[in-house]
Amino acid sequence: MNYFSFYKDGRALYCLIFTGILLSFSSSFAKILEHSHTSFLHQHTVEGIVTDGTSPLPGVTVTIKNKINNVCITDFNGQYSLVVSSNDTLVVSFIGFKKALIPIQGRTKIDIKLQYDTTTLQEVKINAGYYSVKESERTGSIAKITAKDIDKQPVTNILSAMQGRMAGVTITQTTGIPGGGFDVQIRGTNSLRADGNQPLYIIDGVPYASNSISNNNISSIIIPSSNVSPLSSINPSDIESIEVLKDADATAIYGSRGANGVILINTKKGKEGKTRFTINTNTAVGNVTRYMNLMHTDQYLEMRKEAFANDGIVKYPAAAYDVNGTWDQSRYTDWQKELIGGTAQINDCQISINSGSAHTQFLVSGNYHNETTVFPGDYKYKRGGANFNLNHQSADNKFKINLSSSYSSQNNNLPATDFTREARSLSPNAPALYDTSGNLNWENGTFNNPLRSLEAVYKANTANLIANAILSYQIIPELEIKTSIGFSDLRYDEIRTSPSTIYNPSLGLGSESSSLFVNNSNRESWIIEPQLNWNKKIGHGKIELLAGATFQQQKTAQLVQEADGFASNSLIYDLASATYLYVFTNQQTQYKYQAFFGRANFNWKDRYIVNLTGRRDGSSRFGPGNQFANFGAIGAAWLFSKESLLENKILSFGKLRASYGTTGNDQIGDYNFLDTYSSAGNNYQGTVGLQPNRLYNPNFGWETNKKMEIALDLGFIQDRIFLTTAYYRNRSSNQLVGIPLPGTTGFNSILANLNATVENTGLELTIRTVNIEKQNFKWATNLNLTAPKNNLIAFPQLENSTYANQYVIGKSINIQKVYNYIGLNTQTGIYQFEDVNKDGKISSPDDRQTIKDFSPKFYGGLQNQFNLKRWQLDFLFQYVKQENWNSISMLGLPGGLSNKTIEVLNRWQNPGDTGPYQMYSSGTNSLVTVANNLYANSNAAITDASYLRLKNISISYNLPENSLKKLKCRISLQGQNILTFTSYKGADPEFIVSGFLPPLKIYALGLQLIF
Amino acid sequence: MKNYIQQRRLIFFTDNKIKLSIYFAWIPIFCSLLYSCDSFVDVDLPTSQLTGNTVFENKNTANAALVNVYAQIRDNGLITGKPTGISNLLGNYSDELTFYGTDSNAAKDFYNNTIIASNTTVAGWWNNTYKQIYAANAVIEGVSNNTKLIESDKNQLLGEALFIRALLHFYLANIYGNIPYITTTSYQTNAVVSKKSVSEIYSEVINDLQKAISLLPSNYITSGRVRPNKSAVQALLARVYLYDNRWELAEQTASLLINNTNLYSWENNIDKVFLKESTSTIWQLMPSTAGKNTDEGNLFVFTSGPPTLVALNNELFKAFSSDDLRKTHWIKVVTNGTSTWYHANKYKQKSPTGTSVEYSIVMRLEEQYLIRAEARVYLNKLEEAKEDLNKIRNRAGLQNTTATTTENLLQAILNERKFELFTELGHRFFDLKRTANLDNFLSGTKPGWNTTDRLFPVPDSELRVNPNLLPQNDGY
Repeated sequence: MNYFSFYKDGRALYCLIFTGILLSFSSSFAKILEHSHTSFLHQHTVEGIVTDGTSPLPGVTVTIKNKINNVCITDFNGQYSLVVSSNDTLVVSFIGFKKALIPIQGRTKIDIKLQYDTTTLQEVKINAGYYSVKESERTGSIAKITAKDIDKQPVTNILSAMQGRMAGVTITQTTGIPGGGFDVQIRGTNSLRADGNQPLYIIDGVPYASNSISNNNISSIIIPSSNVSPLSSINPSDIESIEVLKDADATAIYGSRGANGVILINTKKGKEGKTRFTINTNTAVGNVTRYMNLMHTDQYLEMRKEAFANDGIVKYPAAAYDVNGTWDQSRYTDWQKELIGGTAQINDCQISINSGSAHTQFLVSGNYHNETTVFPGDYKYKRGGANFNLNHQSADNKFKINLSSSYSSQNNNLPATDFTREARSLSPNAPALYDTSGNLNWENGTFNNPLRSLEAVYKANTANLIANAILSYQIIPELEIKTSIGFSDLRYDEIRTSPSTIYNPSLGLGSESSSLFVNNSNRESWIIEPQLNWNKKIGHGKIELLAGATFQQQKTAQLVQEADGFASNSLIYDLASATYLYVFTNQQTQYKYQAFFGRANFNWKDRYIVNLTGRRDGSSRFGPGNQFANFGAIGAAWLFSKESLLENKILSFGKLRASYGTTGNDQIGDYNFLDTYSSAGNNYQGTVGLQPNRLYNPNFGWETNKKMEIALDLGFIQDRIFLTTAYYRNRSSNQLVGIPLPGTTGFNSILANLNATVENTGLELTIRTVNIEKQNFKWATNLNLTAPKNNLIAFPQLENSTYANQYVIGKSINIQKVYNYIGLNTQTGIYQFEDVNKDGKISSPDDRQTIKDFSPKFYGGLQNQFNLKRWQLDFLFQYVKQENWNSISMLGLPGGLSNKTIEVLNRWQNPGDTGPYQMYSSGTNSLVTVANNLYANSNAAITDASYLRLKNISISYNLPENSLKKLKCRISLQGQNILTFTSYKGADPEFIVSGFLPPLKIYALGLQLIF
Repeated sequence: MKNYIQQRRLIFFTDNKIKLSIYFAWIPIFCSLLYSCDSFVDVDLPTSQLTGNTVFENKNTANAALVNVYAQIRDNGLITGKPTGISNLLGNYSDELTFYGTDSNAAKDFYNNTIIASNTTVAGWWNNTYKQIYAANAVIEGVSNNTKLIESDKNQLLGEALFIRALLHFYLANIYGNIPYITTTSYQTNAVVSKKSVSEIYSEVINDLQKAISLLPSNYITSGRVRPNKSAVQALLARVYLYDNRWELAEQTASLLINNTNLYSWENNIDKVFLKESTSTIWQLMPSTAGKNTDEGNLFVFTSGPPTLVALNNELFKAFSSDDLRKTHWIKVVTNGTSTWYHANKYKQKSPTGTSVEYSIVMRLEEQYLIRAEARVYLNKLEEAKEDLNKIRNRAGLQNTTATTTENLLQAILNERKFELFTELGHRFFDLKRTANLDNFLSGTKPGWNTTDRLFPVPDSELRVNPNLLPQNDGY
């Protein structure tokens, strides 16, 4: 049957053309039909304004009963105009309001006042990816935020706009540097593989690989773990909504890629109405949220001198410049203020044009964002982008086409090193940064000036294109054929320079020692998803069927080079000027993916709903014979509030829903099943070495994730109180992991399936209340709370595996085994630890048996919204209950040549002292240094890092329109990360890798003009 | 699949208004369902990779797999001249170097003798070295199982790989004490491997070296002495015999080198010893690119003070006799007017030059004389021992040794090794260790020194994943 396999590599194009032809015919066919439907009765125009009683409502749909094709959307001033017959009835509908039916009775001007209807919140359509579903009929677990919430936040990356707003979603920003990454987890850590817990991102139907393509050699010293988020390409104000799919019912249709949840990002679309210009501008300033409380010079020098005295060292070592008289001991510099205490300037501007008739709508927008850093020096992050969206439907509404494309370009210019670590560790009496003539001061070669890093730069240019087209044709009212075609192209070019001027001049290095590191990466993918949709009402029942297929291909190319030795440092950006050129990596990888999916939804009387979804997936990441796997789920809902027995005034909505199903995970990298050699990038005797790529295992297969959920949705008093409670249980088994191996194998891991099962359970609670709703005043509250639990429930042969000292059955997989600190020996002044195996010494792993869990205990957010006439106030508190490493574990040995937090002033000095911190040492007392290191790896170094943070506050005011004619103007003041309440002693409690800049505190002033 | 069929039937039977033409709309989906499952997700081998078995079918690619190991040895692990190698770190650890770097520099804990079991540099040595051993074993297995290579190429590759395997295990045993001896690429075996005693390791090393001697040709296969020949293997074997107190064999094997005057001749000009053409060099590592010089030169040489990483220990400088040519030719004095510092100046090039001038020497003839001298003392051939020792002293411009007794001679040899081999691949530390002199020399001068510091810890990350490597060395 191979003659028909046009899906082979490259031939999927034929499929695209074929579908295109099919659909283009259908459109012309549609036109013919249109004429036969048009009737020519006696008609006139009716117009008017739709309001909510106080202000006009744009975007309201006005139609005529039984004449579906006659549609008008109110413009910005709430005005509508329609050609009607005098005995028609207007149907006026708008989300959040009661539908109004108004007989025309020959009138030509009708002003309409709509009544608020909270219960219609149930009517909101939720996007579930391949289909959408009414909120009330939803069987799965889907959280959503909309532009309304995103626009209030002065954020650069949309992921930070989601923080604290959704139950079951944890988002940690890994750095305050623009372009940096986020750690996102939906319902906990499923995989033992650290990089196997990312959700699937879908932007307007196009899967978007979220893993960084930055190279470790180039960016790891400025961006933690080189985690550069490709999602920074997306301008948050272009986003209409973000939906997070959490349970099996919602994610199983994404099959192998749904295990960690799915994040659907939808950009803004054109709307019907008069041409409307929207201009948004924002100016903001950003600062570090918190500093560490470090020692002043006198405290520091006292510590250093005492340390040497304790060590019995009278003559200070030659390199102890801070105390041996080389450096001025009366100097004091607050290095945190000096190096990370600057103010970042952030500017944003966006213009969009929206217009549309009943059949064609478009949106064009352009945006520009720039941002400086809190570091010294002139660094800037810039992003510019354009968005285009076009919707068209044929006159009979049978053929629809939706085109979206967005292009953005980012330019990130940063110092090559994050100054945070040095800002916290430099001696407070270190010399001045510049000498009297304004040059970098190396203090005769004794001072490793932190500003040397200004000489080295990190530059990244990103270009990102996402385009997609959705074509659909309604063959008969019940049946629709649809194809979604998407393309994405991410180019990431980064360089880091390392000029000779970053080195101490006493090394005598010239430009022959300068280096340039270059990474040119490109990731492009295309996807085609033909689908068929069938809906039918049969009596009290409703059936929806969906079938579809996915063909996706992703190609990644990466070229990483190092260039050494330049004739002059001014030629450092020129590869051709380098004396030596090394190629680290030059690879092209390919990922192909194919799937068939389907959904069947049965709805009886809008009370009993069953939803079946399934997918068969094949991925090129698995070896022959292991490429395909099946996934599926069943979801069910019972709207018990519609049962006549339970119908009453208080309970406006009640739904019990449950789901169970399987999803998978193929985040394992490409080609891992192959035994291959590739160039090592090094050279010996003029030959480039070949090195084994990996220990290989051709037999690994899919890991499965079984998800179960039970949830209860309750609405009271016309849904003014709306409560969602969900219990979930996800179990990941047949874990596909890089099993850690001892170094004696030559590698540190091998990819294989592990018969271990990780369970994530949790309780999610969301409460939405409208506390006060008056004509001019409204107060609403949203609360979300998640209490997760992670548990390794099975791991046969754990004690004989290489994980024996890492995991414990019955405990979370986020645990670490540490030493048990049992207090200070008040006689010797040295920390003491429990000798678990009683062998007389404290050593790993036998004595490292105390378990500390780093998973959050609970987390959530509390949002309040107030509307008072033209004023709006909105604020969000985010809270996390967790433990993390404290500052003592990060700053090294008290007494050494680096600053410390003032906590360690409470140290042991004389027998009988209780500390709590041990005696100082300059680093030569091995008992003290060893004990300090054990302490840094003990339960004493892990403290509460819970926090309550005023994540966002936004105040806005709408200027009265009368004074400005047709111009609508809103002024807003916004803040991000404004206040942090925590008992955490380090800097910011939100971090994953210490020593990098934490998220910034941002104040923004915004102006919106619409005309 | 059931779903789709069921769905199709539903449509067909529940809505009889559907025309047959609509039925065709299903064709693309059904076709894909039925026929195209496997082919789409097959991908080609990436263009930048070769499959494992093809690498060893061809002389050039097999050679590339082997030279990768030399490049690895040159650039990381123990033998590298970079700051992470033993030339620097064991120099700091013993009494050769003074540390001037910042607190965060890896060498600080070596200088202070405060190494702990979780030290990342010590773990890096272990992991990088076993990675190099894996690559050597992969060559051994790949070449042995292959029928397409000709015998002489096979022998060359095998001999070199066996030599590398022995060399690396020898260094590991001297640093970590009891260690596993890895002879396979099977991760199932290597993941649960147990330790062997140092004497067992030595017999494995000797066994591999003897095999390598039988396989390798007497002459260097290329110019520059950058690939080991039979003599290079013998040179290492002589050292192993010395460390293993097998004096007769040590003397005999060192003599093989010393008598091989066709290849090796005494370099009388002290300034030429570390040049790449030196006739006393037995095996050296070639820099990555033409024009580059040694990592050692880049590491030790500085032109103005204070140094940013290390300088030669003042006491070592003072210990040289004033008329010792090595003091004036192999050490350089740097001063800023008020303070004075010294740096090793054996390799004189800090930066690249037009063409490379110096390569990193791993083994040289002078060591063979010192090996033989020491072995001869133990064999009670004192006069012959003195001759060997004087050969070294005379070139340095020194008079013959005055030592006469066994004890004095041994002391004189240990001393001479200090002056001749300083900052070269940890010779000083290993000499003090094997002669049980560490505590004598280091307790007084190094405040952080403990007797148990004679061995480095097995990385605790390693013990966590392979408990068969327990117990940890004493003191950690």
